[in-house]
Amino acid sequence: MSDLVIVTGASRGLGLAICRQLLTAHYRVLALSRTESAELAALRQQQPALEFEAVDLAKLEELPARCASWIKRFGRPYALINNAAVGYDGVLATMHNSEIHQLLALNIEAPILLCKYLLRPMLLNRSGRIINISSIIAGTGFNGLSVYAASKAALEGFSKSLAREVGKAGITVNCVAPGYMQTEMTQSLQGDKLESIKRRSPLGRLATPDDAAAAVLYLLSEQAAAVTGTVLTVDAGSTA
Amino acid sequence: MDLQTHIQKTLLQVAELANCQISQPLTDDTVLLESGLDSLGFAMLVAQLEEELGMDPFSEMQIAVYPRTLGEFIHIYQQAAGSS
Repeated sequence: MSDLVIVTGASRGLGLAICRQLLTAHYRVLALSRTESAELAALRQQQPALEFEAVDLAKLEELPARCASWIKRFGRPYALINNAAVGYDGVLATMHNSEIHQLLALNIEAPILLCKYLLRPMLLNRSGRIINISSIIAGTGFNGLSVYAASKAALEGFSKSLAREVGKAGITVNCVAPGYMQTEMTQSLQGDKLESIKRRSPLGRLATPDDAAAAVLYLLSEQAAAVTGTVLTVDAGSTA
Repeated sequence: MDLQTHIQKTLLQVAELANCQISQPLTDDTVLLESGLDSLGFAMLVAQLEEELGMDPFSEMQIAVYPRTLGEFIHIYQQAAGSS
């Protein structure tokens, strides 16, 4: 069985944490992001099982050919982790239309197209895993993140239907929904807001990228073979 | 092997992999939805042909096209092979 896992948004935050844990668990990793961060480059120096490709996933028209070239070069993937996303913060009434369009292209259209083209080789293998990174915002809502929330709720609905579609081919499709994590994406969320989220969480802390990455590793494992069409929340209990 | 024979052979291989029973002998007039291969099986056929031929004519088309018969399906591949 192929052990190649393709991870989008791999250069920072949760994506980077996922790559580190995958390598520790002896998967081969194809890390995708627009640019390679210093951390990812350093990891690649130590880990020959890690490959990197620069790609702007918002260039949707390029994705079919890019997917074909990755399959040709690296073989049929075992799994796809759709982690790349943007989270523009701002009230809808003044959000620029170009930003709404860009967000939906990257957060929902790109993952759908990557699923389309990368699940084909999984169909031929009669085995595979797709994990889409959602957010607790998909269910709870958050002031200033309406379009982001729309994209994540869309991703969850998409994942459940796709799970039904490809289940009989031995492919599972799930979401991991992290709560607020301290990553670059959430750096604008500081001070009182952040303290209030921590205080209200049953565990008295935020979930970390490593906590969420561990959920991804579980869903990839043989032990999760009977888990499909579900959303695994990792939020230190915030939405309990 | 010509493209028509290649596609027919691949269809039978994929049908076996997808646990689909092909009931009738395949001809150009075989209606795809009645051939015994289900929709996921067709996705596998397109995927397998993409790996073998290096092309997916349906993704390259500007509009959605769904062939009705096996003959139409093969014709789309023949056209794409001729124009590439």
